[in-house]
Amino acid sequence: MDLTETEDEKSFRAEARQWLQANVPATPLPSFDTAEGFELHRQWEGLLFEAGWSAVSWPVEYGGRGADYLKWLIFEEEYWRSGAPGRVSQNGIFLLGPTIIEVGTEAQKARYLPAMASSREIWAQAWSEPDAGSDLASIRSKGRLSDDGTEWILDGQKTWASRAAWADWCFGIFRTDPESIRHRGLTFILIPLDTPGITVRPIAQLDGDAGFAEIFFDDVHVPVANTLGEPGKGWNVAMAAAGFERGVSLRSPARFNVAVDRLIELWKQVGDLDDDTMRDAVTDLWMQAEGYKLHTAMTVTKLLEGGHIGSESSLNKIFWSEMDVRAHELALQLLGPGAERTDGPYESWVDGFLFSLSGPIYAGTNEIQRNIIADRVLNLPRA
Amino acid sequence: MQFSFSSDQRDFAASLREMLTNEFTTKQLREIWDTGTGHDPALWARLSDMGVLSMMLPETDAGMGADFTDVILLLEELGRAAVPGPVFETMTVGALALHGTSFATGIADGSVAVTAALLGEANVPHAGMSDVVLLRDGDCVSAVERSALQLTSVCGLDGGRSLSTILRPTGLGTIVAIEWSEAIDAGALGAAAYLLGVSSRMLEIAGDYARERRQFGQPIGAFQAVKHLMADALLKVEFARPAIARAAWSMAVGDDDRSRDVSMAKVLVADAAVKAARSALQVHGAIGYTWECDLQLFMKKAWALIPAWGTTTFHRRRVSDAVLGVRV
Ligand SMILES: Cc1cc2nc3c(=O)[nH]c(=O)nc-3n(C[C@H](O)[C@H](O)[C@H](O)COP(=O)(O)OP(=O)(O)OC[C@H]3O[C@@H](n4cnc5c(N)ncnc54)[C@H](O)[C@@H]3O)c2cc1C
Repeated sequence: MDLTETEDEKSFRAEARQWLQANVPATPLPSFDTAEGFELHRQWEGLLFEAGWSAVSWPVEYGGRGADYLKWLIFEEEYWRSGAPGRVSQNGIFLLGPTIIEVGTEAQKARYLPAMASSREIWAQAWSEPDAGSDLASIRSKGRLSDDGTEWILDGQKTWASRAAWADWCFGIFRTDPESIRHRGLTFILIPLDTPGITVRPIAQLDGDAGFAEIFFDDVHVPVANTLGEPGKGWNVAMAAAGFERGVSLRSPARFNVAVDRLIELWKQVGDLDDDTMRDAVTDLWMQAEGYKLHTAMTVTKLLEGGHIGSESSLNKIFWSEMDVRAHELALQLLGPGAERTDGPYESWVDGFLFSLSGPIYAGTNEIQRNIIADRVLNLPRA
Repeated sequence: MQFSFSSDQRDFAASLREMLTNEFTTKQLREIWDTGTGHDPALWARLSDMGVLSMMLPETDAGMGADFTDVILLLEELGRAAVPGPVFETMTVGALALHGTSFATGIADGSVAVTAALLGEANVPHAGMSDVVLLRDGDCVSAVERSALQLTSVCGLDGGRSLSTILRPTGLGTIVAIEWSEAIDAGALGAAAYLLGVSSRMLEIAGDYARERRQFGQPIGAFQAVKHLMADALLKVEFARPAIARAAWSMAVGDDDRSRDVSMAKVLVADAAVKAARSALQVHGAIGYTWECDLQLFMKKAWALIPAWGTTTFHRRRVSDAVLGVRV
């Protein structure tokens, strides 16, 4: 065990900090769930990419920096501490990208990764359907091969696809074997959202912005070369991606450490400092965020030493999402009646509160995560 | 940065687990409970032979010169087996307080057991069978031979801890080379690591039962209410684990934040232990409420250690003083 940073890690941190200080926009960008904000975030990501900070843990040849995950954690710390914008490219860089690196062909890596890293192409995840949420394996959107075998022809409907209102591409799973049931016979397909036959209908979220969208597929033709992994093995491809996402990459600890630091500032500003209950609650949150950071560092060390993250990644997902809700609930409690106002000095807490509430739902609800933990970590009998 | 244990550290813990699984079953633990001494001299000798007790003593005292990162996995194993007697006390605060004294080699050869009464001299665990008791003298710690103290034994929940109230004649004891706050840090971290082991053992016992017990034609572990109860308990246990490891590192290197880190570890593991005990009992139903069920051996250990070496309030306040500034 050695928790000190190496010289190499220190200089990496210093380099990241320096670049961020010089380049992070002075005023926050508008929400990426608006047309204008989306494009401004795309520009910001382009800047990140030019400087090599967009996908730090990817190999250099695909637009990354070739950094290990510990350095990625360092970068994330610097990123969130600098007040830099949220990542509009999240789905691509942290979910699809690592999956392509793992299972994609050389041609796919060359085709998709650099454009993803630079945010020339921004991705949406098209997995959920109206009748397939938690029960994702019951998806019905289908794909069939064209007569000459060169194209998938897609029909059906996806929904809740984050960023899809303005994204360029989506990655979906489709039932390509009509005889198949459940996890078998699904194929993971990469689809340009401007393909004829696709209709994207934005959906306003709790805050009123179009943070996700429905995607309708009506006789949509895409080349079979857009298949990621083997046809019929789409479920495994999707689950490999999701496990890594839950375990490490979806929510790096730094954003919670930063949120809790802001909460402490808020408490000092507006809290009743004689109220020990509040003092204890704020302290507990600090410990949670710190605990999450340590847990992630341990997981990442395990990965670097050749270990794997399995179903225990579900523990992470529950932990951060519940901590995030709690932090925002506490902030609103501190703000009292002032928390009702959405355009004042505390806007980010109110926005953040609304967003935090989706954490226990997306990326697999927390109930589903508990099922996974019980079945696969605690080895309890299946229902 | 490298946040993991070495293969030596893991191997030693694995061999300790193997020894305890084979040589110290719950049947044997119950026999110790029945003696009323809260101590197993044979097991103590075995731990001494394995070099477990002397880990944190310097080599000049026949120890291993190890630090906290070397012992927390061992402490966890001792907790998994609910090893009776002042085992984590002797290994951690005992070794740190008494190295270089005439007691040190006794710790190594198993002839000296050490307990501590640094947060009050009532209900002191293990005092009756220890050879040395560490007592508070202001900011300092004194070592007093048990034979010089007047003890009144009192009854306790956990048969692996015999309790006494100490009456201390004035002017007794030798000041030892550890400050009171440093001793609290060491003992609290020892307790935390041991309690982690107790907590995960309770979940193992509950898991075994949930796979085996059937109601409504299926194992109760297939019911979602049972699954979620246990998943939530596991969550707390698994998030206490890295906090304990970090505290061990902070203690090992003498980090400025070590007291904060130890307190954080103790708060998280105490919460985990509360949750694990409640959940494990609930999963068992009535059988869990019996003397006969082994779960009680671990629950009672947990309930004894949750407030020991500083209550959760004590430790949470230490964290908040460090993070939010001292309360005015
Ligand atoms: C902000 C946001 C962004 C999203 N982004 C995307 C995206 O980009 N791409 C995408 O594909 N999807 C996305 N989703 C969809 C998300 O993955 C689903 O909402 C989620 O999987 C749950 O499905 P559902 O909404 O249909 O709820 P349901 O599955 O209908 O669940 C409703 C309730 O029932 C509970 N429940 C269901 N089954 C069980 C069970 N077996 N045991 C216990 N409880 C159960 C759930 O936990 C939940 O509380 C997003 C959702 C949100 C809120």
